Amino acid sequence: MGPLIPNDIISFEWSSIIAIIIGIFFGFILEASGFSSSRKLAGVFYGYDFAVLKVFFTAAIVSLIGLLYMDYLGYVDMSRLYVHPTYLWGAIIGGAIMGIGFVAGGFCPGTSLSAVAIGKIDAMVNVVGIMVGVFIFSELYPLFEPIYNGYFQGNITLVDSLGVNPFWFVFLLTIVAIIMFFATDLIRKRVKKVFY
Amino acid sequence: MVNRKLVRFLSFRYIILASILIVLAGGLVLLPKYEKREGISPETLLSNVISPERYITTDELADRIINQDPSLLLIDVRDKNNFNKYSLPNAVNIPLKNVLDVDSEPYLNQDQYDVILFSNDNLYSDQAWVLCNRKGYKNLHVLKGGINTWFSTIINPKQPTEDMPSNAFKQYAFRKAASMYFGVAYPKKAQKQAVITKNTNTVSVPKKIVPKKKKKKMPVEGGC
Repeated sequence: MGPLIPNDIISFEWSSIIAIIIGIFFGFILEASGFSSSRKLAGVFYGYDFAVLKVFFTAAIVSLIGLLYMDYLGYVDMSRLYVHPTYLWGAIIGGAIMGIGFVAGGFCPGTSLSAVAIGKIDAMVNVVGIMVGVFIFSELYPLFEPIYNGYFQGNITLVDSLGVNPFWFVFLLTIVAIIMFFATDLIRKRVKKVFY
Repeated sequence: MVNRKLVRFLSFRYIILASILIVLAGGLVLLPKYEKREGISPETLLSNVISPERYITTDELADRIINQDPSLLLIDVRDKNNFNKYSLPNAVNIPLKNVLDVDSEPYLNQDQYDVILFSNDNLYSDQAWVLCNRKGYKNLHVLKGGINTWFSTIINPKQPTEDMPSNAFKQYAFRKAASMYFGVAYPKKAQKQAVITKNTNTVSVPKKIVPKKKKKKMPVEGGC
């Protein structure tokens, strides 16, 4: 059966409509689980709330395990899924900048928009900041171009670049994640509680 | 009323969820492995086999050869004897049994050329086409009717009778011209040309013999 859109089970024209529907649900669940609060998001860095880490790591592992099972049973052809291309240094530098912005502003791009939707002023300032950043980047694009387009590694995954068995990799990752969840829980109990 | 049993059960909810994740991930490791098939899926192969899009007619092929289409790659899937007797110009010989060889892959698996497979009829070339298509190669075509149809249409076209449509006459003209391109000499034309040449060259000019001086081979001198 495979991925629905590449295999023409759902026609290509539906893709943006489906994306909008998924986006609405994503935003709703982000808001419902409290991710529109910058204090909750920044809690990862100060050690009083690790919900962000737990949620996103769990999401990654659940989808990984689910995809591998569905690939094994022939419902999804993993080789036809879109893998985002890797630009090594662009990703590292961009990730660092995004991390600084995350700590300083208390939002990542997605959560800032869901916080704008419920009318938070700091999130609006954050979104304006993102726009300013985008503007600066596009104006100085010739300067950044070699990093932006350089160090291209192709559409590789972690499993490809490490050359390990994907099943063992997922199993170890799951165990590491669960150990991490317990460890962060211990840290959270030690750190002084913050009311937010 | 609070259901105490449920409360006690739910107090372990994170441990339960974590163990479910570990069990599922461990199940992935323990699953019996099987070899995944390469190439395209059976459904796509079937739909490709049914579709007549792969065929190219002899007229079209002749037109493209005459116009010196650089994107053509002709591949003869007959055996070597037949290939040596007669084949299309600039064809490459890859017998059917060698289609899956490592050496023939660079010819078949590329997206620069239009690969045209042909054999005596389109039977063997169809088989070769299925093999290659199964592996996911692109731009593969089969010459409809193969060399036999090539002979009966391009090399030795049938003259249309008077009650046939004008299209048939046009096609005949094209085929006749194409056959001349591929080296067929028509006796009528050859005779006419011979007559013309005789008329022009009535005065016989004695041949002048220009002696060519043979260069004497100089002994090799020692260089520095």
